[in-house]
Amino acid sequence: MQIGKLSLHTAKAAQRTTASNNAAANTNKLSTNPFGVSFKGNVLQADVFEAAKKSSIGQNITERGKLFASAVVSGINNFNEAFKSRMNSIVSFGKKITTSVFDTIEKIGNTEISLDMSGIKNKLFPDKQYSVKNLANKSVDELRTLWEGLTPAAAV
Amino acid sequence: MENNKKIRNIIQALGEHKDAQAAIDLLTELGTNSPDDEIRELTAQALIKKNTHDSLKVVLISKGKGINDLSARVAMASINELLSLKDKTEAIKILDDTIKMHSEEDVRNTARSVRALMTFSS
Repeated sequence: MQIGKLSLHTAKAAQRTTASNNAAANTNKLSTNPFGVSFKGNVLQADVFEAAKKSSIGQNITERGKLFASAVVSGINNFNEAFKSRMNSIVSFGKKITTSVFDTIEKIGNTEISLDMSGIKNKLFPDKQYSVKNLANKSVDELRTLWEGLTPAAAV
Repeated sequence: MENNKKIRNIIQALGEHKDAQAAIDLLTELGTNSPDDEIRELTAQALIKKNTHDSLKVVLISKGKGINDLSARVAMASINELLSLKDKTEAIKILDDTIKMHSEEDVRNTARSVRALMTFSS
């Protein structure tokens, strides 16, 4: 009995192995793409020609599913192409920026920087001596002296 | 600070100065005779803002100053300042006297025009 059982199991296992091998062979056969585009994974095939005889509702649904999946796969492929081209342009842009940054750094290295401290000081802290509030507290004679000192005729 | 900015501040300070008569004299002497249009314009405005007989006399009667300035910019700025005065009594009085008695025809004509403007604006 034991031997009989074992032999039955062995036969079933062998049948299963054959079935799985057949499926693998089918997958390999399907992975050959007639359009020259290779995918990783399974290629979904769909009949583009009208069926000779009318198929059942269940079969229709399966075919539609296949069509949809095929469209998705081709969509993914298109997206990959577009993504690759965009990535290329981004990479070239990055390279440009890197080059210009290096150029700028080189220029900075060769540039002497001098600061006009008195000019900066004048901009940041305007002369308080000449603020209207301060001037209004001075005598008219003092204001005359200041004014005359600022006119170009006084410099000549 | 630029020299012009400093002078602008001095003019503004003179406009607000407590010693009004001395300030008017200085503005008349240095400001109204300045070769710079901007300085003359600011001086005329400061004198008009003071709104006293002496300060208004300078800009209304003197030939080549205030409303009689050769620069249209200075003359127009002076007229605008006159029109924006709250109390125009003293200015109108001086203009009336100028129209009646001034020896220069140009000055009389200008005074007449400004007087008419002031009548319409008040």
